Amino acid sequence: MGKPLYYRLQAENLALLYQKAAETFEAMPAFALRESALNWKPVSYRELYEQGLDLATGFIELGVAARDHVGIFSDNRFEWILTDYAVQLCGAADVPRGRDVSTTELDYIIQHSGMKVVCVENSALLNKVQQLRDRLPNLQEIIVLDPNVKTSAGVRSLMDVYEMGAKLRQAGDKRVEERIAGIQADDLFTLIYTSGTTGTPKGVMLTHANIMSQIRNLPGQHNCNDRVLSVLPIWHIFERLIEMYTISFGGCTYYSSIQRLGDDMRHVEPTFMASAPRLWEKLHEKIIKNIKASHWMRQILFHIAYFLARQYKNSEYYLTNKYLRLKYIPAWIRALLVPLHALRWLIVMPWYGFFNAAVLERIRLGAGGSLKVTISGGGALPLHIDRFFNYVGIPVLEGYGMTETTPVIAVRPRHNLIVATVGPPIAETEVRIIDSQNGEILYPNAAYPHNGRGQRGEIWVRGPQIMKGYYKDQELTDSTIIDGWLKTGDLGVISHNNCLKILGRSKATIVLSSGENVEPEPIEMSLQQSNYIENCMVVGQDKKYLCVLIVPSLLEYRQAGFNERTLEDLEQNDIAKKIIKTEIRRITSPANGFKRYEQIHDFSLLTEHFQVGVELTNLFKIKRHIVQEKYAQQITSLFESEKQKK
Amino acid sequence: MEFNTQLLYDHDQVLLALMIFVIMLGMGSSLTMDDFKAVFRKPRGVFIGFISQFGLMPLIAFTVATVFQLHPAFAISLILIGCLPGGTTSNMFTYFSRGSVALSISMTTASTVLAIFMMPILLKLYTIGFTNQITAAMQAAGSDAEFVIPTKNIITSLIMVLVPVGIGMFIKSKWPDWAKTAEDTAGFMGIIVVLYLVGTAFVRHAGLLVQTPVEVYVAAVSVGLIGFLFGYYFSRLLGVPPIFQRAVSLETGIQNGPLAFAVILLSFVDPVQSQMIWLAILYSTFIVISSSVITLWYRKIGAYDYDIYRNTVIHNRLFGDNYVTHYPPGFLPKRVLKDPSQGNSPSQRRV
Repeated sequence: MGKPLYYRLQAENLALLYQKAAETFEAMPAFALRESALNWKPVSYRELYEQGLDLATGFIELGVAARDHVGIFSDNRFEWILTDYAVQLCGAADVPRGRDVSTTELDYIIQHSGMKVVCVENSALLNKVQQLRDRLPNLQEIIVLDPNVKTSAGVRSLMDVYEMGAKLRQAGDKRVEERIAGIQADDLFTLIYTSGTTGTPKGVMLTHANIMSQIRNLPGQHNCNDRVLSVLPIWHIFERLIEMYTISFGGCTYYSSIQRLGDDMRHVEPTFMASAPRLWEKLHEKIIKNIKASHWMRQILFHIAYFLARQYKNSEYYLTNKYLRLKYIPAWIRALLVPLHALRWLIVMPWYGFFNAAVLERIRLGAGGSLKVTISGGGALPLHIDRFFNYVGIPVLEGYGMTETTPVIAVRPRHNLIVATVGPPIAETEVRIIDSQNGEILYPNAAYPHNGRGQRGEIWVRGPQIMKGYYKDQELTDSTIIDGWLKTGDLGVISHNNCLKILGRSKATIVLSSGENVEPEPIEMSLQQSNYIENCMVVGQDKKYLCVLIVPSLLEYRQAGFNERTLEDLEQNDIAKKIIKTEIRRITSPANGFKRYEQIHDFSLLTEHFQVGVELTNLFKIKRHIVQEKYAQQITSLFESEKQKK
Repeated sequence: MEFNTQLLYDHDQVLLALMIFVIMLGMGSSLTMDDFKAVFRKPRGVFIGFISQFGLMPLIAFTVATVFQLHPAFAISLILIGCLPGGTTSNMFTYFSRGSVALSISMTTASTVLAIFMMPILLKLYTIGFTNQITAAMQAAGSDAEFVIPTKNIITSLIMVLVPVGIGMFIKSKWPDWAKTAEDTAGFMGIIVVLYLVGTAFVRHAGLLVQTPVEVYVAAVSVGLIGFLFGYYFSRLLGVPPIFQRAVSLETGIQNGPLAFAVILLSFVDPVQSQMIWLAILYSTFIVISSSVITLWYRKIGAYDYDIYRNTVIHNRLFGDNYVTHYPPGFLPKRVLKDPSQGNSPSQRRV
């Protein structure tokens, strides 16, 4: 057969990338829009580019200047990408945010970014902006994306702007071409306001050079046969990058949503996708539930298959040196176990081969069956989930990054898939491990054994993906980026096979009154392995010991035979509490590797679920300060009741 | 080499019979009436498969047996294997080699039914020389008996084996959940029993593996490999698209091993029976290994055209039957240039 063709377009900026993509891929579908499960509408690269040119001309006519900021407040939809095309083509930068933006944030972002033109998705957002309008003297134009929303005075529909531009271009308007030629690599393509887990929104300035470097340096082989399923919010830089990356290799992005993920995975059979840990947790839950509900013979077959896969893969990882190596082990000691692993590998192989084909393949079909890779980002992937999918044969690559780094710093490549790490830093990217107490470089540092591998500290990063800075905040920029090195605020370690492992967010670190530093996230992740615990947050800053706030899983309790209908009822039930208590004891026992000061002394059951946008970020990370404020009373009483008991 | 003792004890025979029953039940559990109808929807592919399975394969087996001058009992066994229909394992290997599973199933179905007529005829035709050798040897030893291929017994045993297939199909139509389990269990059982037979034969007749002449091993391995090779290039010569080409290749090389055991046990007697069984065991063992290797190889070389086929078909699934995917120039390999859907979407055919 023909030799496989993999490629990736390179360009100096996004506008030129869009242009090249249209010239190279022409009638290939660029985006597919869901109308019903089996009825999608394709938009080709050529169509999208031509429509983008028309809309860009409309924007120019409305007064959008080069390097202006244009707001796009919308979730994933075709009009989003079309607007982005237009904004990039007219040399401006967009300021994206999702549908769930609060009025306060909206106010702050519009004022702070100094935008003159804002695009809103629907009438709810339109109302919010209208209410603020008197306070926003700079705002000149409001454009509504949804074609079904009726526009009133002072508001335009995207279609009108598009038609205006189309007419102008037909009459020979070539202003867009001039704009494209005028884009500098150092110009912003986007200004993203991060809500983050702490403080007020910060405007992260990302340039064309930033994103083009990411497209150049991401590991992977793709071409226009790739189908990419989009479920994460597009205004998040991770999803955004994956969509831009997809354009560079001519793949087609299929706009799905979390609710329809299961169906769409089966129908679209994606080959690649960006994902968040929560997504894999949900899929894992579903798979386990299906197995438990199946015929007992099938359950046995699955357990045999999973057992064999584990044996086989673990030996394979050992033999190919692809397992987490935090402690240095001399090569000769490693070599001692090689024959044993080789033997196990050989013995297990034929059985694994059969069970892999007969049993595990059916599980892979649940994820569409065609996934070549998927990158999980935006939070730590719990180890048991990570292991499960990689044993089963769905290659989940965990990546690490932040908005400030456009976002990828490191990612596991397919050929070097080391579970429990985020892989080596991507090309052109350097990582340092810094002692946050005294600023000493721990890695790379020849003074330490093995150049500092295995030393724990704060991660600093340098490379072409580092943001230009925080908008209108030179002070914060200067304290975040030092000599080109960005302080991530995350704790990490470099393994002996050169992979980065993330240990936690340094800002989340709980310092107990004893002076012990505790990373709450690993504990929370372990606790969440319990089916009875839906979510939890460990607290104890400046206290003697740790406590935990727990959102119990009502569903699990009901399945276990409890009749409680609400979380409030559950909170009253002593048996329910006892179950949680045993679960905590079991999970955080010293036998599981928990240190004495990492033990949980008490807990409190919460009566409300954590909600995205309130207690959780869009990527399901806990906003610690919010939870702390909201449940301040519970936290205080947790530590007080303990005092009284003594 | 002569066998002095019986290769299989009575309880082994019971075990073997049970295995054949379970495997055939599993085979039936993977079939529906629709699979039979599908044969008539795509007669061209099935016809090419038919030529390949009943035309090429027995000839290959005969040639191998003749070239290596096998002992007549081994030769007859090898030719018998060559005349067998395709096994269900070929469907699984085709799936993983990115071939057309639909065609593989159609070919297995069609050949299993046709084997009732084709096998006795072909076997008689290709084994005349070898049966005469046995008769001559028997007469030289003082017996006046004549060795003939027990055609009637073979037909009876083929029909008997089809009974559990029918039961399997019935289960599938009534309790599809059970059928799926039966199918997997059957595959698992197959491996275990073959390993058991090889293992016990090895332990009981320690010298057997050493005694067996090298050419018997070579013949047992090469008959499958040559089948793959001829199936691959024969269908390619006829202009079959790559996904079907891989299916025909695997279907040609992989024969229904359990059926060989059934026919040998029910139709032949010692001294030839043990030798025939031994060759069938060797074939069944080696074919799993060589199919796995070939599958990995096809998987690799077929990845590109398969991705194109999948993407094209999914475009039609989601964008409507009339959608035509315009791949960039130079992207499509020559063999799928005219139809990237490889015969699966009429609208994708370019003139």
